[in-house]
Amino acid sequence: MPDTRAIPDTPLFDREGSIRGYRINKMAMALGQPANRDAFRAGEEAYLDRFGLSAEEKRAVMARDWHDMVRLGGNLFFILKISAVDPTPITQIGAAQAGMTHDDFLSERLGKQRNG
Amino acid sequence: MAKIIGGVGTSHVPSIGVALDRGLRDSADWKPFFDGYEAGKQWMAEARPDIAVVIFNDHGNTFFLDKVPTFAVGVAESYQPIDEGWGKRAIPPFAGAVDFSWHFVDKLVEGHFDPMVCREIEVDHGLQVPMELFFGRPENWPVKIVPIWVNTIQYPIPTPQRCWDMGTVLRQAIESWPGDERVVILGTGGLSHQLQGSRAGFINQAADRAWLDGIAANPEPYRAMSREDYVEQFGSEGAELIMWLVMRAAMNRDVSLIHKHYHAPASMTGAGMIVVENAA
Repeated sequence: MPDTRAIPDTPLFDREGSIRGYRINKMAMALGQPANRDAFRAGEEAYLDRFGLSAEEKRAVMARDWHDMVRLGGNLFFILKISAVDPTPITQIGAAQAGMTHDDFLSERLGKQRNG
Repeated sequence: MAKIIGGVGTSHVPSIGVALDRGLRDSADWKPFFDGYEAGKQWMAEARPDIAVVIFNDHGNTFFLDKVPTFAVGVAESYQPIDEGWGKRAIPPFAGAVDFSWHFVDKLVEGHFDPMVCREIEVDHGLQVPMELFFGRPENWPVKIVPIWVNTIQYPIPTPQRCWDMGTVLRQAIESWPGDERVVILGTGGLSHQLQGSRAGFINQAADRAWLDGIAANPEPYRAMSREDYVEQFGSEGAELIMWLVMRAAMNRDVSLIHKHYHAPASMTGAGMIVVENAA
């Protein structure tokens, strides 16, 4: 029997997520090309429209709502390219996934000393 | 026949490459991590390999979700580092061990594997970072490479047993190769980390430390574990550790653990390496 149990608080990027997030991920994948990064910077909404993102998906991307992007099927490895255009530390993206402040995330999850 | 001179298991965290690019090697955050790799780097310099077989996963850089090969093998003359969104990194291209790659592909298919065979393809940090950790930043890489991509992004990912089986074919391919090249095998990925879901930031230092010893001394339990077991113990992205099994299965049942290093966290990841040699 295959092991199909769910692991708490741990989404696996499976058929459902891959289909749901296809547009967001395709848009983000394209940011691997410099010309597309320029287009994203020049007019974010027009760039997102090229990939047929829904209003909800566009809102998540334009608000840099990292939690919602993943909820909508975005996979971290693709949407990280947004953080290359608009620099965001990966730990801040992680904190958004965990629903924590960045400082709490660094200290409680990653064991870093708190600043100040 | 070609000779397996050793096996390496190592993290391939992208921030490692970024730290090197930005000259942060000796910063407070990174120095303990990089210092622990020096022994491995020294071992590699003395081992003088001709070919490095590197098992890694792409991270949404080379492959999109339109085509997801479970296993892919490179047969290219040369592999350029890919632009992951931050621009191309200033590291040299990697020369391919073309003839051996094709021989390996033959052995895989004879052994009932069905790899995607890649003639023109770029490589992301999954291959770049392990090469930098063990070979530094040379003007030209001192080895030719055989890249093996394993899908660990979109489920279904291959089972740990399947990765193990690929390692046994890799060994047969090396042993049946008429050349006298010295081959090192790098299984990469991990250690524990999770980037998605509310358990993001999960690091399991106890499981990581047990892995570094156990994968050398007694890999059987890790071969028998399910993918879900890996996700549970090592985090959703830590399941990349299945790729070390390709390396481990290509080695003798008994190996000597020559070097070991662990540091957490590197960025959001438990990170480290082992170097093993076949026991006499």
